Amino acid sequence: MDSSQSGGFLLEARDIFKSYPTGSSELPVLKGISLQIQKKEAVCLLGTSGSGKSTLLQILGTLDRPTSGDILFRGENMAQLSEDDLAIFRNQKMGFVFQFHHLIQEFSALENIMLPALIAGDKRSDVAEKAHEWLKFMGLSDRAEHFPSQLSGGELQRVAIARALIKDPEILFADEPTGNLDSENSLKIQQLFFELRQKLGLTIVVVTHDLQFAALFPRVFKVKDGRFAQ
Amino acid sequence: MSRFKLSAQFKFKVWMAYRLLFSKSFLQRGSAPLAFLGLVLGVAALVAAMAVMSGFEETLKSALTDVTAHVQVVRRGKLVDDWPQFSKKLKAIEPSIESMMRFAYAEAVLANKGQVSGILFQGVDGPEMKNVLRLDNRVRQGTLEIDKDRVLIGMGLAKRFQLKLNDSMYVVVPLSTPFEKSGFRRQAKPFIVSGILDFGKNDWNERLVIGDLKALQDLTEIGNRYTGAFIKLKNRDQSQNVSAQIAQTLGPSFAISDWYDVNRNLFEAVRIERVIIFFVVFVIVVVAAFNISSTLYVFIRQRYSDIAILKTLGLSTSDVRNIFVGQGVIVGIIGTAAGYLLGLLLCAGFMILQNSFSLISGAVYKIDQIEVHLRFIDLLTIGIATTALCFLATLTPAIKGSRLEVVEGLKNG
Repeated sequence: MDSSQSGGFLLEARDIFKSYPTGSSELPVLKGISLQIQKKEAVCLLGTSGSGKSTLLQILGTLDRPTSGDILFRGENMAQLSEDDLAIFRNQKMGFVFQFHHLIQEFSALENIMLPALIAGDKRSDVAEKAHEWLKFMGLSDRAEHFPSQLSGGELQRVAIARALIKDPEILFADEPTGNLDSENSLKIQQLFFELRQKLGLTIVVVTHDLQFAALFPRVFKVKDGRFAQ
Repeated sequence: MSRFKLSAQFKFKVWMAYRLLFSKSFLQRGSAPLAFLGLVLGVAALVAAMAVMSGFEETLKSALTDVTAHVQVVRRGKLVDDWPQFSKKLKAIEPSIESMMRFAYAEAVLANKGQVSGILFQGVDGPEMKNVLRLDNRVRQGTLEIDKDRVLIGMGLAKRFQLKLNDSMYVVVPLSTPFEKSGFRRQAKPFIVSGILDFGKNDWNERLVIGDLKALQDLTEIGNRYTGAFIKLKNRDQSQNVSAQIAQTLGPSFAISDWYDVNRNLFEAVRIERVIIFFVVFVIVVVAAFNISSTLYVFIRQRYSDIAILKTLGLSTSDVRNIFVGQGVIVGIIGTAAGYLLGLLLCAGFMILQNSFSLISGAVYKIDQIEVHLRFIDLLTIGIATTALCFLATLTPAIKGSRLEVVEGLKNG
């Protein structure tokens, strides 16, 4: 499939179905979802718990494969890539932020931010310099050598965002990024996303159940029972 | 899509393996240090066991070559008469000969205070003896001086006949003669005990008497003739090749035997014993490896969230597997090194114990003091076997962990 057929979208989901086996039967989670995302767009997937929005994000982010349907990135069908190729693809094109920070406890804030670039085999000194810049941007310069256990919830999430962005991805996926924060920190992180989008020309796909957060997005898809609701 | 730069990737994996392995949370958990300690003890036990076995073999070998030299050349059925010519001939065949001397022996009877016993009376070239045989550290009483009246005897013989230094005893040999009805006559001569030796082997201690060649020649009336030659080589391990070379040149009229050949059964037994002990003690290392494997299983189970996020960030399944396998290899290498050190301490402890108490039964093993001998090949084998085992032990948990689905692992957050 070439890019002309995908209409120049950055990311496109075509008729996605996803079901999980439960004993003898199948539990459908996504029931035919199609979606196109342009470059630099900010998209929100809004839904209640169990609506299938996180599963959709994981499939869009190539962390999981759909039962049927296709995911196209710049027209390239992700189904054709092997697991290892997908890993490299994510490393270079995508950034991820989750509800829980998922920082590695044994590594300092700086080392956690460096991880994606180190995985890619980038030069360590360059990576460290870049990670310091990100820490500075996040207002965490004095936290570089601190370990996750020594950081607050808001700080942890900002380190996780810096980690997601160190490889200059084209698209940032965030699954309930403020779900674990108090309202003040939540607001700061929400603002940060739009600041980053502005600064980096980033495409953002955020999953949330927070209506206030969703209201900030120009495009919101309501997910209900595995389908987009009107 | 191309792979990442190899060397930087490799460095990153080693760094990850190292950092996750030496994390506080892992090291302070009881099971990991204990599993590691088990491995160290296993390697140390192997090092000590192999050192003692090699030392035993080494001690046995030197005990045997001290008394018989490395190669013996004996004329079949006849005696040899011209020594300068014969020695020149041997030297020409094999330039690696360090020294040699002629000898003669006779089956004889030792008689003293009404007791008699069969002995092997061996006559050697007095002045040459110290160059070919190494009897210095085998003297238990007296000296190594031999001449027409003085001989050396084994300590078993001394005990049985209650012989002390400077005691006199009779050596009796039968000589064939046509003038007697029986066809032989006896020839006896008194000798004085100048030294009592531990020949290193029980049957030698009970039977061997070493005297001067001239005295034996006179006693057995063989003139200036002799049985053959003892040969000492520059390198003991060459004796099998050298004896084959000499045998080929001298032909079937000479019987050639080397020290290893003569004691082949004994050395084969020791060799097999060593291999068996290696595997028996190696079981400790195998058990330790199972411990490491189970510790790693728990470790990886607790790391599902980390594995998931690393895969999200771009680490491939094989990268994850390699990081965990790398941990196994790091544990193997460090465990081996620590085991070597502890093994050396055990060896030192063994030597102290041996010097303080009598650990080895001389009656059973024919030697009563053994050295410990660390052979490079033993250490290498232990190192390779241990590291390979640690690698294998971590392989299963590493593969299982690396196959974790990202979505599954993120739920563990």
